[in-house]
Amino acid sequence: MSTDNVRARNESAWLLPDPLTQTRTPWSLRERMRRFGGDEEVDAVIVGCGAGGGVLAQRLARRGWKVVALEAGPFWDPDRDWVSDEAGSHHLYWNEPRVIGGADPVPLGSNNSGRGVGGSTVHYAGYAPRFHPSDFHTHSADGVGADWPVTYEELRPYYETMEQELPVAGQDWPWGHPHRYPHGPHPVSGGGDIFLRGCQQLGIKALVGPVAITNGVMGNRPHCIYRGFCLQGCKVNAKASTLITHIPDALARGAEIRDGCMVTRVEVGEEGRATGVVYRRDGIEHRQRARLVVLSCYSIETPRLLLNSASERFPEGLCNDHDLVGRYLMVQGAAQTAGRFTAEVRMYKAPPPEVSTEAFYETDPSKDYKRGFSIQTVSPLPITWSEHIVAQGHWGEVLREYMRDYVHWVSLGSLCEFLPLPDNRVTLADEKDCHGLPVAHFSYAQGENDRKLMRAATSVMVDILQAAGAQETVTIDRYAHLMGGARMAPDPKNGVVDGNLRTHAVQNLYICDGSVTPTQGSANPALTIMALAARLADHLAGTA
Amino acid sequence: MLGRLAPRHERSFFTEDEEQTCRPLLDRLLAADEGPDKIPLFELIDGRLADGWTDGWRYEDMPPDADAWRVSLAELQRRSFAAMAAAAQEHLLESIRTSERFADMPATRLWGLWMRYACTAYYSHPWAWSEIGFGGPAYPRGYKNIGVGKREPWEVEEVDSHDPVPWAERVEAARDRMVTKTKG
Repeated sequence: MSTDNVRARNESAWLLPDPLTQTRTPWSLRERMRRFGGDEEVDAVIVGCGAGGGVLAQRLARRGWKVVALEAGPFWDPDRDWVSDEAGSHHLYWNEPRVIGGADPVPLGSNNSGRGVGGSTVHYAGYAPRFHPSDFHTHSADGVGADWPVTYEELRPYYETMEQELPVAGQDWPWGHPHRYPHGPHPVSGGGDIFLRGCQQLGIKALVGPVAITNGVMGNRPHCIYRGFCLQGCKVNAKASTLITHIPDALARGAEIRDGCMVTRVEVGEEGRATGVVYRRDGIEHRQRARLVVLSCYSIETPRLLLNSASERFPEGLCNDHDLVGRYLMVQGAAQTAGRFTAEVRMYKAPPPEVSTEAFYETDPSKDYKRGFSIQTVSPLPITWSEHIVAQGHWGEVLREYMRDYVHWVSLGSLCEFLPLPDNRVTLADEKDCHGLPVAHFSYAQGENDRKLMRAATSVMVDILQAAGAQETVTIDRYAHLMGGARMAPDPKNGVVDGNLRTHAVQNLYICDGSVTPTQGSANPALTIMALAARLADHLAGTA
Repeated sequence: MLGRLAPRHERSFFTEDEEQTCRPLLDRLLAADEGPDKIPLFELIDGRLADGWTDGWRYEDMPPDADAWRVSLAELQRRSFAAMAAAAQEHLLESIRTSERFADMPATRLWGLWMRYACTAYYSHPWAWSEIGFGGPAYPRGYKNIGVGKREPWEVEEVDSHDPVPWAERVEAARDRMVTKTKG
């Protein structure tokens, strides 16, 4: 499909400032943004403006809906607000207090939670694989996880449109449902070259892509310059984030993006319908009335907001009659293994991740575990790289000596499909945030299958690096991505929302983010969240 | 970035006593160099804690970051950490790293907190980037030569290239022997 067709349905890339002539001018779109009154009943209020909320706002505004998206963080200006500096990018993450616990606590912050218009897509890596068809029915096929009330085929057209709009660059993809990408692959980095070499030695198929980073010019978005700061917010506007791929078009079509608004509760009227939301901006309480309320706050804040919206009708939290809100939250096991090579590699000169294999994605009947993992190149910047060395127990002189060798290391990352478990969940802690609201407590414990997957993935990464000639390997156990917490199921006893993302309990309340997924595959989740949002927009337009 | 690194004139979070213990702690954790090019670890962490610049999350069995710093420094002070010779300080730190609890906190989590703050400060500094061969922001010019062994015109070959692993193993082995001796 040509870019003309993309432009006809989403003009965002052409609405951005021209990098050659207007680099530092603020977006005039923002100044001219339509504004709604709080007492005006808009068609939809969307809470959270990341992967799900950003796409949905654009789609609904295109259909002429009156849309207000409320975002807790700021409305970023990539050129003014972001720096090419790892420590200086700290403000992109959700750094509000949260408490973690359980047998295997999952550290949060930079790795999985965004704050500001664009949400996590501002600091994700832009790696955009699809889920496999098998991900939608793991319970029927493998006896683990859960089946989705949505099939791959239903989501497929939305994967395709999103891949065009981001756009995604990569080689033809043979895994899952085989498909092509709208743009050819990026040039192979040093780390990617070594990964491919190791895989070739072992007979493992590995390929370049799918990277949601411009590999050519698209509207006013220039070609990637490979500076390696994708996770710190892309100043170039090459990496896709909803801030640049969907918000400009949403603004042009009359949506209001209201930043700095922390929603504290969803209001439900006497007839059991949502009437709008209460939020705080600059310390003052406001309301926004709406015909339809959509929560797009992701796997921790969406359950937290529901739990904080308890009422007489919903004493245990909104939509929580069956004690499901906050449960079945998942993270992917994301152990990373790095190898040292005699050559200088400079792994940071590339999109991180860039090269990957999904050869281990599906259940292998010969193994004693179900489901699988993917492996991708990653390229940690210096502060993150120091975590790898510190994880080995090194400090002082030894730490410094290892770190001095930074340019020689290649790091691979795994994404293991951890299974959904009811006790992996968000609850409310005793601690309060600056608005006086209870903060989220996130408890996590791995299952036996999860541990087996992590070990298997680590062993494959070590094999690949050694086959490529690594002199030494080091592994760090870590976790990435969040999914689940308000999962979908056909009936209210098994899910918070139905297959159309409508909550079972409140007929005009929807959830549009990663929290709705019953399983998580071993693919990075952003593209699937965006596809679900685009599908929800079609559904809403059909029923409006 | 320069604004982020600009040193504050006055200590703003730690007390004078805490400063006296914190400075040698950070110096040992990162084997900090002495001299005019010393990266201001203490100042960066002091400023960060004064601003409440945390990563947000904390373990349920740990106090908030600021309290964890104060409580752990008080315990080090009780053990006269600042007055010890550098080698003795290293022994004590290694025994903390490998113990169950310290200052009534899980030692591995406290160690993780110290190292996270110390490394974030150290490797956020351009002097550290030069030390490890990292090109820094690379904006707006970016990189055009990517691949194994490829360099930009402004990047230079390493002066002294050797695998740190065998060397590091020797140091770690020596450290293990010393700690075993101390514990025995």
